[in-house]
Amino acid sequence: MHSIMIGHLRDSVSLLPMEDLRPVYEFYRRLFELAPEAQPLFTREAGQQAKKFSDMLAWVIAHLEHADELRKEMRELGARHRGYGVTADQYASVGSALIWMFQHALGDRFTPEMEEAWLEVFAFISLEAERGAREAESTSIDP
Amino acid sequence: MVLNAAVVTRHVDRALSSALFCKAERQSRFLRFVVDAALRSPEATIKEFEVGMAVYDRRSDYDPRTDPIVRVEAARLRARLREYYEITPSDGVRIDIPKGRYVPKFTSVAAPQGQAGSDLSILLSPFRSLSPDPADQNFCDGLSEEVLHKLAQEPALRVVTQSVAAWLEQREGPKPRFLLEASIRRAGAELRLTLHLTELTNGGSTRLSNIYRATMNDIFITQERLAEEICSDISAALRADEVG
Repeated sequence: MHSIMIGHLRDSVSLLPMEDLRPVYEFYRRLFELAPEAQPLFTREAGQQAKKFSDMLAWVIAHLEHADELRKEMRELGARHRGYGVTADQYASVGSALIWMFQHALGDRFTPEMEEAWLEVFAFISLEAERGAREAESTSIDP
Repeated sequence: MVLNAAVVTRHVDRALSSALFCKAERQSRFLRFVVDAALRSPEATIKEFEVGMAVYDRRSDYDPRTDPIVRVEAARLRARLREYYEITPSDGVRIDIPKGRYVPKFTSVAAPQGQAGSDLSILLSPFRSLSPDPADQNFCDGLSEEVLHKLAQEPALRVVTQSVAAWLEQREGPKPRFLLEASIRRAGAELRLTLHLTELTNGGSTRLSNIYRATMNDIFITQERLAEEICSDISAALRADEVG
């Protein structure tokens, strides 16, 4: 991943007002507007879910220089998501809610370059998650 | 291979039936929509709004500025196509959707020949600027470096970089099989890069000839994007030669 792109990703996250996880709650609100059918897939209490998302965001940001680790983690995530019934098309709503969260929280400070960087990295991690789901499906043994 | 609507449509049918696309229903519709639109009207532009309405069932109050669904999906579709071409033997066609637009680009690539030669050496002639502004030649030099760096990551390729004149004077040593040349023209922030990949050992036949468009905002990002697109096209054009 290009260092300039990594800089845009880190800058955008550093600008998020995460003290009370408000942007994350807004992310989920937007996600369930876009994909109401996804809401039952999230069974955790809202605060726990927000904390989990925030931790995942921080982990991704910390591992941007380590594509292999990112790839491995996202494939494992995709394999777990497959078990919950997440479809390839639902990743589009997740990405859309993610970009919307930054737009909503940062306004004009969310630059086109930051958006471009997030589009790239989300395409990467969501396709790796899809691949993880496909691999899990191909190795699962039906009764 | 001559690209016509039937050939491209067959190629899309094949891609959409693959494991990468068959469970991605919206992405499949996205690809089909932009390909059909481009085949119907090659000169037409395709707007983000049109894709949102036609593929993502947005209503007339849809505002792409606040609803990035099409941009998110376009980035995913570009990545999905790249992955598809990395893992699928070529059928002679390649589709790319260059960043910053939704009109797909159709490229005729060499189909597998089974017994193709294994010499994948390329003479990379430093890219030239056709404009008088010295800054444009600096941009070309940087882009040449970026392309060289990316091509060098391909283990099957041997890349030599020197001017064509210097190469012609060279009498010793193995000759590269391909010649990669490119030049840029700039008008304001708009940039056009013309690229030719020629097979020197086959009577000078052209293996790849493309025009790339870009808008100069951030120089490094523009170089990175162009280099990525160029190297992806070169890899596709040469993939047949790696077989066997």
